Amino acid sequence: MNWNAGSPILSRHGRRLLDRRRFLSTASHALGSVAFASLLRQQGLLASGGASSPGPFNPRPPHVPPRARNVLVLFCAGAVSQLETWDYKPALIAQDGKPLEGGPPVTFQGPAGEIARPQYAFRPRGQTGKWVSDLLPHLAQLTDDIAFVHSLTSKSNTHGPAENFLSTGSVLDGFPSLGSWVTHALGTESQDLPAYVAIPDPRGVPQAGSNNWGPGFLPAVFQGTPMSAGAPPRNLAIPEGVTRGADDAARRLLRGMNERHLAAHPDDDRLAARIASYELAARMQLSVPGIMDLSSEPAHVLRMYGADDPRDPLKAAFARNCILARRLLERGVRFVQVFNGAYASGGELNWDGHNKLKEQYDRHGRILDQPAAALLRDLRQRGLLEDTLVVWCTEFGRMPMFQKGSQGRDHNPDGFTCWLAGAGVRPGVSHGATDDLGRRAVRDVATLYDFNATILHLLGLDHERLTFEHNGVQRRLTNVEGEVIRPILA
Amino acid sequence: MNPPRPPTRPRSPRWNRAIQALLAAWLGLVLHLGPGSHAAEPTRGHWSFQPVQRPPTPPVQGRTWCRSPIDAFVLARLEREGLRPAPPADPATWLRRVTLDLTGLPPTPESMAAFLRDAAPGREARAVEALLASPAHGERWAQHWLDVVRYADTHGFEVNTERPSAWPYRDYVVRAIHDDVPYDRFMREQVCGDLLGEDAATGFLVTASVLLPGQVGKDEPSIRLARQDAIDEVVVNVSQAFLGLSIGCARCHDHKFDPVTQADYYAMQALVAGVEYEERDVRGPEADARRADADAIRQRLAQLLVQRTRLVPAVGSGTPRVAVNGRLNIERFTPVRARRVRFTIRETNSLEPCVDELEAWTPDDVNVAAASLGATAASDGDTVDPGRHELAHLHDGRYGNARSWMSGQKGRGRVVITFPREATIDRVVWGRDREGQYDDRLATSYVVEVADDAGAWRVVASSDDRDRYLAGTNASDPFSSRGLGPDDARIAMGLAAEKAALDARLRAAQSGQRAFVGWFRKPDRIRLLRRGDPEQPREDVGPGIPAVLGSLHLPTDATDAARRLALAQWLASPDNPLTARVMANRVWQGHFGAGLVATPSDLGTQGARPTHPELLDWLASELVRSGWSVRHLHRLIVLSATYAQSATGGDAGQPGAKPPPAHWLARFPSRRLEAEAIRDSLLHVSGRLNRERHGPGFDLFDLRGGLSGFKPVESFGPQGRRRMVYAHKVRRERDAVFGAFDCPDAGQSTERRRESVTAIQALNLFNSRFTSEEAHAMVTRLRKEAGPDPAAQVRHAWRLALSREPAPDEAAEAIAVAREHGLQPVCRALLNSSEFVFLP
Repeated sequence: MNWNAGSPILSRHGRRLLDRRRFLSTASHALGSVAFASLLRQQGLLASGGASSPGPFNPRPPHVPPRARNVLVLFCAGAVSQLETWDYKPALIAQDGKPLEGGPPVTFQGPAGEIARPQYAFRPRGQTGKWVSDLLPHLAQLTDDIAFVHSLTSKSNTHGPAENFLSTGSVLDGFPSLGSWVTHALGTESQDLPAYVAIPDPRGVPQAGSNNWGPGFLPAVFQGTPMSAGAPPRNLAIPEGVTRGADDAARRLLRGMNERHLAAHPDDDRLAARIASYELAARMQLSVPGIMDLSSEPAHVLRMYGADDPRDPLKAAFARNCILARRLLERGVRFVQVFNGAYASGGELNWDGHNKLKEQYDRHGRILDQPAAALLRDLRQRGLLEDTLVVWCTEFGRMPMFQKGSQGRDHNPDGFTCWLAGAGVRPGVSHGATDDLGRRAVRDVATLYDFNATILHLLGLDHERLTFEHNGVQRRLTNVEGEVIRPILA
Repeated sequence: MNPPRPPTRPRSPRWNRAIQALLAAWLGLVLHLGPGSHAAEPTRGHWSFQPVQRPPTPPVQGRTWCRSPIDAFVLARLEREGLRPAPPADPATWLRRVTLDLTGLPPTPESMAAFLRDAAPGREARAVEALLASPAHGERWAQHWLDVVRYADTHGFEVNTERPSAWPYRDYVVRAIHDDVPYDRFMREQVCGDLLGEDAATGFLVTASVLLPGQVGKDEPSIRLARQDAIDEVVVNVSQAFLGLSIGCARCHDHKFDPVTQADYYAMQALVAGVEYEERDVRGPEADARRADADAIRQRLAQLLVQRTRLVPAVGSGTPRVAVNGRLNIERFTPVRARRVRFTIRETNSLEPCVDELEAWTPDDVNVAAASLGATAASDGDTVDPGRHELAHLHDGRYGNARSWMSGQKGRGRVVITFPREATIDRVVWGRDREGQYDDRLATSYVVEVADDAGAWRVVASSDDRDRYLAGTNASDPFSSRGLGPDDARIAMGLAAEKAALDARLRAAQSGQRAFVGWFRKPDRIRLLRRGDPEQPREDVGPGIPAVLGSLHLPTDATDAARRLALAQWLASPDNPLTARVMANRVWQGHFGAGLVATPSDLGTQGARPTHPELLDWLASELVRSGWSVRHLHRLIVLSATYAQSATGGDAGQPGAKPPPAHWLARFPSRRLEAEAIRDSLLHVSGRLNRERHGPGFDLFDLRGGLSGFKPVESFGPQGRRRMVYAHKVRRERDAVFGAFDCPDAGQSTERRRESVTAIQALNLFNSRFTSEEAHAMVTRLRKEAGPDPAAQVRHAWRLALSREPAPDEAAEAIAVAREHGLQPVCRALLNSSEFVFLP
């Protein structure tokens, strides 16, 4: 991205301020640049608000006017079976127990068994009559709002690399996550909160761990800040044994030292940014505990999410994470990623249903369904869905057969379902299709590059122009691939 | 700043264009290129592929300013831009800068005072020599290299499990820099150190994340893809770290118009196609010393053991004897003349009995049953598993199940050992598995008999007077002190204490002997893969280097060693146009924060152009000319007038004027310290930095690997207060406090640290328990070293943290705070200050 090109109205200093390369090399701006920022805002070149503390999180305009401003990602770790959820395949019922003609004898975990019918009943839902299973009854009520992509493919059939691929566009570790790309491009509307928050599941983090919200080679400032309703961010409190008075004294003394140092190095905007960073930190110390405190939520909201369900503490904990997500989006946090499911654990802690798929999905479905559906409803009721893109995703799908000697399905990266809803999304559509048995994507085959390009597109970002140089390569979220999936756009 | 470069396009990367153009020029051919390519662009040869020419130093007006040829190159550029260099930094600032730069730690008040007192000419050079000779220099500059090779102590990917023996490579790098190992040798050792007596160095080849065998799918495509990914990482590391080329892209992109590039890439793959991500035994000065140490410790342990066997209760003494156990059983009896010893097993806890060693000791501690002394063994029948279970293993002096005898019959068996001549013995010692892995097949009922030359057998010991063996227990301590007299008990305690100490030393000595430094085998067959897809193999590709850079003349069936050796020789050749330039540029970047080429791992056509091409070549030629001494470059650079400039003022700091680009070096480019340097400096200033060098890493988390739930260590003991280069580096998990300071996570190579400023940094540095504890420690130090006077304490605090005296107003403010709230807030503020965390 290169904003300075073709902006003759800008002064040299203004261009310098906006020069991405320089901007990222220092990753900050001087307080002394406030005047320029205000000038730029008058010229309509910076989004409004937030300019009182210019910095990497300043809101920045996308390439083109966006359809969505914020993103909520519901990331279901472990590979949710498309065949038990969104991708109805009646042929599986007819062929239940038969071998898959021409199918692979060995899949990821071992020898393949016979075709297995969907483990849940399907029925048509809503106005569109979309067939969705009984596994997720609450979410099923929302199908009229959803744009499904049934024909996705991944580059890996292994959880870690495949999660990397979904989150970063590379199967390898160390590439920037979608949320990092987005906040790097757009900054955030909230100057009191992190721009990008990752909310891990109460059961643990997903297989690829923090790589799912890592900045890769982007500046660390664009990293997702992990926090959940049960685990607030670290170092927000005054250190133990330090009195409020001593804390204030240290802060005052530090500010004096840093200002004197800045005065001796007047044109070093990093030093000004450091002063600003301590101010933002102080604001976060005040704002974050407030946002983490769900006690102000009325009882009916807690009930709607299932956050008060005493019989299922995991569901209640996930529900609280969903409420936290809404509160963050409400406060203008740009990118919120809510994880459902932890790491590989024989399917016990996430959607990796190799062995006892039905038994385990009964539990996982309950945890996901009501809280996630409530979150979507809540966002809509509060008008947040106008600006918020909702992404439901999982790293790959599952095979039409059971594994030999087991009651579960193996990994299948050749055809699976993710969906979008909310801002800019055409509601009630189903794009692409797998074959009759759900083995492979066959119609309008799409890659996760395409899926990610579509998300960027909705945010007004051209995935081919959103680049960052690393080790001599202009890197993109979509590598050298990716086409926007236009039929699902509103 | 370099002009922005367009994003890589799949169909016409400039790299390929350049190679095409070069090849076209070279072969006198014109390649036919697809529409949209820039073949018409005349490229006579990319600069970095040309031989390094030592340029003359340019003429400059301000000759008196120059202290070294480097300065002439820099000044020539400044003069061309109509600029003058900044005035020199004051001596204290210079010493703080060079000390932080070369060692990653601020100068101590003593070294500062000594430097400022030194009035003799050449004090800078003396200071630099001392810094370069300090171990801290190797520790500091190793980190720069470890960033590039993305070193970590876990496997990354899926389960990110611990890679517990990776650290010998990290130590190799620390030592190599400390010893100023010539850079050509440094390269060769990392590619084929196994052939050069530096085994640990080849850790370079396997620093990347890798899927462990259990994580790769069972299906063939998964297995092929995992292997491709693994070798690809080796190619990427070699090409980025040494050559400064990103040829990894050629694995799958762009192929349509330039098959040459893809062939080049796969030829590089073939060079390293025999590398496996595995542990192996390592040799090398360090490992050999450890091994010798381990041997000596084992010998001493054996002596201790034999001494201890003298103290166990004797058979028939009336003192109860412990039950048999899998490890070790001692039969002590009244000395007896014997030529043969017979061990008859009447019962086992399971299956055929197994004995790993049977010894017969004389009162003066000679094992006369040892085969090495000429004893022979016979039995009533064996179960033979060649190499593992053989009769000869009964007395071969080697312990463990893998070298043991197994009876031919279930539940019973008999062996006889005949000594070369009659001897007096008083102990028979035997075990099932002295290494403690197995306790099945244990003789639970047995008789030991001896016969002298006359031939009559007599019973000397049996299981009958032992405590009853209880199935499922293997905890009997053969050295129970039950029934020992006070004198024996005292001896036993002394022996136990020495043994415990030796065991710990042995663990340490053994830990460096196997290391995750690659395992080498017959190279895979390498084929060109369409779109990088292992399921679309095309023609075979033999080992080689990019054609544009020459040829290795390797046969297609060359061995792994021959391939890596050829690669190493070529990399380290003085004629290689890239390697010296790449390293000279990395060294420059280490000192100035940015390289002469802004993309240090990419000197290819996509990389940035050098800002001072002649200077880069001069440095590269100087590197080679000095016998590849990196330290020589350090000296040249840090003693230059360019480096000595102030970070403020000069033409660069004229009010109202546009500051010239930092890389023109019209002043010293200040920058924030890296995560490691900040943490190390904090500890240094608090007085609690543990200077212990080398060895296994200390923990930043409660887990050393794995998926999740890494609970950060909040409060560190002495081990955790070592320099951060010695931290056990968990891939993808950044340190809870300092990770936010742009500390790489070792997922991908980091050619240059980013420098971000974030609120999370502020929260961590201001509120973390780490800072809090070090601030407290600093308070204690100040009280101890500066006495009770707050003014003296504040002055000392400034000297320690900032290498200077506080200004009067600063001192007044700090003293006021100290009087009201104590010194802790003063220290906390100092350790958070911009001045503390910036290179001046």
